[in-house]
Amino acid sequence: MKKKVLSAILCAAMALSALTGCTSVAPAPAGAEASAEDAGSGDASADSGEIYMFISSPEYADAINTLIEEYKNVAPGVTINYETTQNDYPTLLKAKLNSGEVPDIFSSTSGKEIDTYLEYSYDLSGEPIMDTMDPAVASAMASTANGGTGCYGFAIKGNYFGVVYNKDIFEEAGITEFPETVSALADACEKIEAKGYKPFTTGFAEWWVFKHTYQSFVNAAADAAGISTAELVAKFEKGEAKVSDYPELYENYFAFLDNAVKYGDAKPLETDLSSEEAAFANGEAAMMLGQGAWVEADCLAINPDLKIGFAGYPVTEDAAECKVISGSDQALHVSKDSANLQTVLNFVNWWYTSDYGKAWFTEVAGVVPPIVSDAPSDFEVIKQGSALSAEKGSGALAICYSTDSWHQTCGQILQSYIAGTITKDEACKQIEEQWAAIDGAK
Amino acid sequence: METLVFTLPALFLVTMMMYIPFLMSGYYSLTEWNGIAKEPVFIGLANFRELFGSGSSFAGTIFFTLNYTLFFMVFSNIFALALAVALAKKFRGANVFRGLFFVPYIMSMTIVGFIWKFIFMKGFEKLFSLTGLGFLNLSWLGDPSLAFYSVAFVGVWQSLGFYVVLYIAGLKAIPEDILEAAVVDGATPMQKFFRITLPLLGPSVTTCIFMSLTNGLKVFDIILALTKGGPGKATYSTTMQIYQEAFTNNNYGLGSAEAILYFIFVLITTQLVLRIMSRREVDL
Repeated sequence: MKKKVLSAILCAAMALSALTGCTSVAPAPAGAEASAEDAGSGDASADSGEIYMFISSPEYADAINTLIEEYKNVAPGVTINYETTQNDYPTLLKAKLNSGEVPDIFSSTSGKEIDTYLEYSYDLSGEPIMDTMDPAVASAMASTANGGTGCYGFAIKGNYFGVVYNKDIFEEAGITEFPETVSALADACEKIEAKGYKPFTTGFAEWWVFKHTYQSFVNAAADAAGISTAELVAKFEKGEAKVSDYPELYENYFAFLDNAVKYGDAKPLETDLSSEEAAFANGEAAMMLGQGAWVEADCLAINPDLKIGFAGYPVTEDAAECKVISGSDQALHVSKDSANLQTVLNFVNWWYTSDYGKAWFTEVAGVVPPIVSDAPSDFEVIKQGSALSAEKGSGALAICYSTDSWHQTCGQILQSYIAGTITKDEACKQIEEQWAAIDGAK
Repeated sequence: METLVFTLPALFLVTMMMYIPFLMSGYYSLTEWNGIAKEPVFIGLANFRELFGSGSSFAGTIFFTLNYTLFFMVFSNIFALALAVALAKKFRGANVFRGLFFVPYIMSMTIVGFIWKFIFMKGFEKLFSLTGLGFLNLSWLGDPSLAFYSVAFVGVWQSLGFYVVLYIAGLKAIPEDILEAAVVDGATPMQKFFRITLPLLGPSVTTCIFMSLTNGLKVFDIILALTKGGPGKATYSTTMQIYQEAFTNNNYGLGSAEAILYFIFVLITTQLVLRIMSRREVDL
């Protein structure tokens, strides 16, 4: 009998604890709202409360923790809960949004995804942060659904996309200038191969490597057609454009892929980012495709003596089209329904406008600053990238006109093309259909 | 009274974690929702119509999953049974070997996936340079026709230990006297196995086939770790397709519709197999 009673009690206790577990999602402290109104003046030192920051890009975790430490001196009353993850950030974010636990600061990609999270994002226009934000970054934060207005995010970093190459190998092969046309590139590959090096390492196992390569070709196709990249992408989304109408895509890009496979890794679809970095840093391969500013630190960690060069993709026979691409491919949003919005805004404004915050980008995080700044950088890709864009101009950040859903599908289509399971024309047909299906209409 | 109270906590948790989410995804399958917007839009059966339309890749992933499941069921059961027969005998180190085969099963699928990814990519390369054996130089994860076998092989390798344990338990339950009687009657070892051991293993076989069927149909993490469904869409299982549609493509409604369809599909398949298997069992 005793046992029965005991188990009944245990059952009840377990059921109860399960219940309380579900209800313990605590709402924001009641005091937070009041303090947000008090702090309307924008004076951060009087702020109090919590900022919940849930963002991707864990590679900057150390730098952001340093930033948060520094902010404690400015606003002692503010606690910043910083959380980051590498894997599956979008899924985790969606789970949080749906359970009503909207982070005060959260990330997405820039451009098209700004609209996806529009309902949750605060329009930063008119905030002090806009005074220092790089216009190229700000343009990727506008909402196309609202007619290209507003600024619904800010960036941790700008970025450079292009070919990362090994200067020593180029020198050994007797190539003094980086090839800027398709035929010059083919020549260079012959010379490099003759010296016993692999001309390319491709990373084609990663779907995102493809988007970083084809965006230069999309830009060239738009230029040749006399329209903007955004207009060209819109035409594909509406299903009005055909890949075969644009020789830059139909001929040049597929020839580029064929060459990358011919002169590249022995097992192209098995080479992922880390194998690509290893092949490049160990001096086996002369050029790295689909990468940009973010690989430099990793490669130097493997081989500190590496002499890194950086240039745009040779996409046509016109050397002027060989441009690096700059811009910001990710965005941090401020939740517009934040319980202590002003506290969050003060932090964000301080990040972009204070002397410490401005210097943080280059000195602590070591990134391409997303702000108007002439601070020098130690990184070769950033130095050469900014020199090249000053000299020849930089291409539009075409990847941000489409969602990653589309880029991932396109990467899979191109992988099938490289694997030989589909022909070039089949690949083009799938690209036309899927682009309209995924990014069109909705 | 007692039965009710005792099952209540479990019932409560299962309701919270399984039934309610199931009903919710039933509702979401009738909506157009990206998983982010505050209000889903009700669109009736349009999602299901899209899945049966021509452009959908859903059917292709079902085909892959069925292939995988078949491969997985056949090989994990055959190998597990063979190993179990060998390991059920009493010999020195039998326990050690049983342990060895069980170790992969207690490791997380993701870790097993990453270990094998490393073996396929770096290990094989090194072995090729040492031995010169041609098959080691194939692109096991990068070639669409080979990737299927790599994924299925790792799946079988990982879960083999589990089925071995089930079969050993089944073998131990077979009364020795029947086997001895068969020997006295002059049965060969082959006859002993196929006429006595295998029929009496019926319940174990049913359990193992059923478990391998559901595990095969649920395959997800091992593929994600090894190939991410690539190259192209060569190793895309239905579970990955649902995940991709709902979370990557932001079509939560369509993803839910796929999940519901797949649920019905799995329900029918498993019931059919269970019906067939239990009809073949024999009693002593």
